[in-house]
Amino acid sequence: MTLFFEELRERFQEQIRSVDELVPDQVTVLLNGPDATGIARHFLAEYQARLVTVFAEDRVKEEGVFYNYYVFDRRDDAAWVILKAPIPADHPSFPSLAAELPAVNWQEREIQDWFGLEAAGHPNPRRVALHDNWPDVHPLRKDFPLDTVLPPFEGERHVYRPAHGEGVFHIPVGPVHAGIIEPGHFDFAVAGEPILYLQLRMFYTHKGTEKLFENLPIHRAVFLAESISGDSAFSHGTAFCEAVERAAGIAVPARAQWMRAILLELERIENHIADVGAIANDVGFVIANAHAGRVREMVLGLNEMLTGSRVLRGMVAIGGVRRDWQRTQVEAIESTLAVVEREFRDLVVILQASNSTRHRLERTGILRPEKASKLGIVGVAGRASGVDLDIRRDHPYEAYRHLSFNVPVYQAGDVRHRMKVRIDEVAESIQIIRAAVTRLPEGPHRAPAQPIPPGRCALSAVEGWRGEIVHWVRTGEGNCLERCKVKDPSINNWPAIVEAVEGNIVADFPVINKSFNLSYSGTDR
Amino acid sequence: MMERLTENAAQLFLLLVLSPLVTGVIRTLKARLQTRRGPGILQPYRDLQKLFSKGMVIPETASWIFTATPWVVFFSTILAGLMIPMVAAEAPLGLFGGVLAVIYLLGLGRFFLALSGMDSGSSFGGLGSSREMTISALAEPAMMLAIFTVAIGAGSTGLTEIAGAAIGQNWRFLAPSQMFAFAALSLVLIAETGRIPVDNPDTHLELTMIHEAMILEYSGPYLALLEWAASIKQLVLMTLLINCFWPFGLQPTWFGFGAVEGIGWLLGKLLLLSCAIVLLETMNAKMRLFRVPELLAVAFTLGSLALISTFLF
Repeated sequence: MTLFFEELRERFQEQIRSVDELVPDQVTVLLNGPDATGIARHFLAEYQARLVTVFAEDRVKEEGVFYNYYVFDRRDDAAWVILKAPIPADHPSFPSLAAELPAVNWQEREIQDWFGLEAAGHPNPRRVALHDNWPDVHPLRKDFPLDTVLPPFEGERHVYRPAHGEGVFHIPVGPVHAGIIEPGHFDFAVAGEPILYLQLRMFYTHKGTEKLFENLPIHRAVFLAESISGDSAFSHGTAFCEAVERAAGIAVPARAQWMRAILLELERIENHIADVGAIANDVGFVIANAHAGRVREMVLGLNEMLTGSRVLRGMVAIGGVRRDWQRTQVEAIESTLAVVEREFRDLVVILQASNSTRHRLERTGILRPEKASKLGIVGVAGRASGVDLDIRRDHPYEAYRHLSFNVPVYQAGDVRHRMKVRIDEVAESIQIIRAAVTRLPEGPHRAPAQPIPPGRCALSAVEGWRGEIVHWVRTGEGNCLERCKVKDPSINNWPAIVEAVEGNIVADFPVINKSFNLSYSGTDR
Repeated sequence: MMERLTENAAQLFLLLVLSPLVTGVIRTLKARLQTRRGPGILQPYRDLQKLFSKGMVIPETASWIFTATPWVVFFSTILAGLMIPMVAAEAPLGLFGGVLAVIYLLGLGRFFLALSGMDSGSSFGGLGSSREMTISALAEPAMMLAIFTVAIGAGSTGLTEIAGAAIGQNWRFLAPSQMFAFAALSLVLIAETGRIPVDNPDTHLELTMIHEAMILEYSGPYLALLEWAASIKQLVLMTLLINCFWPFGLQPTWFGFGAVEGIGWLLGKLLLLSCAIVLLETMNAKMRLFRVPELLAVAFTLGSLALISTFLF
């Protein structure tokens, strides 16, 4: 155990019961009581640590307590630190961190709604994951059967904070929107065109995904993981498989690792190209979107040729990937990417030559770096606002341990720079795939199937195209799971939109929203 | 008397039948430039047919304004259309005030549209109305100045006189005052017909809409009337622009073989102008809403310059 933990043990002797590292690079610190705030504060202040996610687990039947897990990411250290705080079942309450750490605002309230554990001292403890009109149930508790049928909801609807003043009014938008997008309610308080304040309401597509995981055999749960957020199917699938593989100690063959890296980057390229086009489309520069659609189609075609699915579904599997590639398929990656690279560069030239587009994107929807780091913004949105995070580099997994690449970071934080991060990352991803293709080793593409031992826990993080995706699993009897926590980057980043739109005009909201392009399904689960 | 009626009937027919075609041609050209195939130039007719055969949903909060607006807009636009010279210099309907009446008839339609946007009780309607009023308050003066420049040249605000004076002076638009006025009126045309860079007629994003936001609550036949009226308005403004400044092929009267030639010229000039609009729409992104007044200020300045230079040269 390193010096860091020696110090930690000494300093918080009273509070720490044990420290262990059952899975490499994942240190679990078991506490004596529900109060993790002291150590959390210490991490945040002394080590510039970042609180990645907070989640709970029901262990009442086995151990008589609930557990709260706080996952920390320390700068310049690849090991995750997980604080595990027991919460007695007869006094289900834990001290909230949300007042000083707004990043956990929604996640602590999720714990409140799903587990019935009170986040004591939370500045806004209202319902979030289950809407206000839900009855008083806690679906992620083990004593809540999956087939429960709830009576029709008759509770009160959510009340939005009112805005007052001369010429100030509300524009309610949603939850159902024009176009093919998912539901979410936006309540704008505006003074004429400028936006004073935006209130969000998500979780209209809450599907109880984390509960569903607990009732599926693991090989079928992979498909569930792929459907958490349709545009990140491969990233979520990979994150889930890795969590299980780490828990069970399954070694993924080298070839599969490199194949996964190639597919992760293909997913990134496909989505980034689509977003670049969509941002241009939202400011009425349709021609760029037309070209982006054309180039994206080439990537989708390549995806289908490699996996049988345009959006890379059904490829990842526990222990590797489901099907191997022949030489011709690998060659097609290189030849298609050469065309994609050239065509995408042309598209970027068109975009850069358009002054009218630039004028719309520059200084629109600014998210300041200090706000971004305070709110715990991750992924593309974070990197455009000076948050220098990339799981591929900071906590390398799979083949990324052997790859080097640049992580574009900008400070400006406007729509234009969120687009720029995407443009740069497409180029980087193409280079990564090239390197991976030349180094793709021969050998098996999947580890032989083996039973998954029960009672093992592991965390995994994958840099999806939108940002960090975290899965945490506890395995159970009979190749099933006890618990699977899913954290999509969208849940971190919604507050960024609230921050970025302030002071902008209503007519610019769609393009600001598009520049973040968050997943409703991934948020709501 | 009979001649007048025939003229009116002919121009009415032209307005009703030609306007969806112009919209269809612009959309198809745009699609082709954007590497799409597009639904074909006849799609606006099919859309109208579909909408007329559908039922309607009328908001519970709506008053008589909501039901009156489609009719007011449709007929005021038709009336304005009958007052401009399309094929022949002589406009079929020469009511009070000529070109001023055209502008105010279009203004009447817009006034009711803005009212109905608010009347529907939807938040987007009010947003669209306030934006439309901001833009039209700036577009109208620019339009007036440009028209006055032409009117001074003809010595009358009657459109028949203006068009009559233009015949035989095909190259007059090269004069500085005419060029300024042409530029001003072109900018107004873009703003008034809701085209990029001012408004985006193809968007589904309610929060960015101007014209579309006002008619968001309309459906079925009422929507058909409003869509049709928007097409007619576009045709009227385009015809006004081309016949004031490029009088090529404009006939003195509606009768004889000249009419066929006149219609041919009209179609050719409309196609040319449509191409220009399509190019502009494809090459530009939409402006930030608060920059639209700047564009219209440019139109106003150009209009003023046009008016001043008529006295200088």
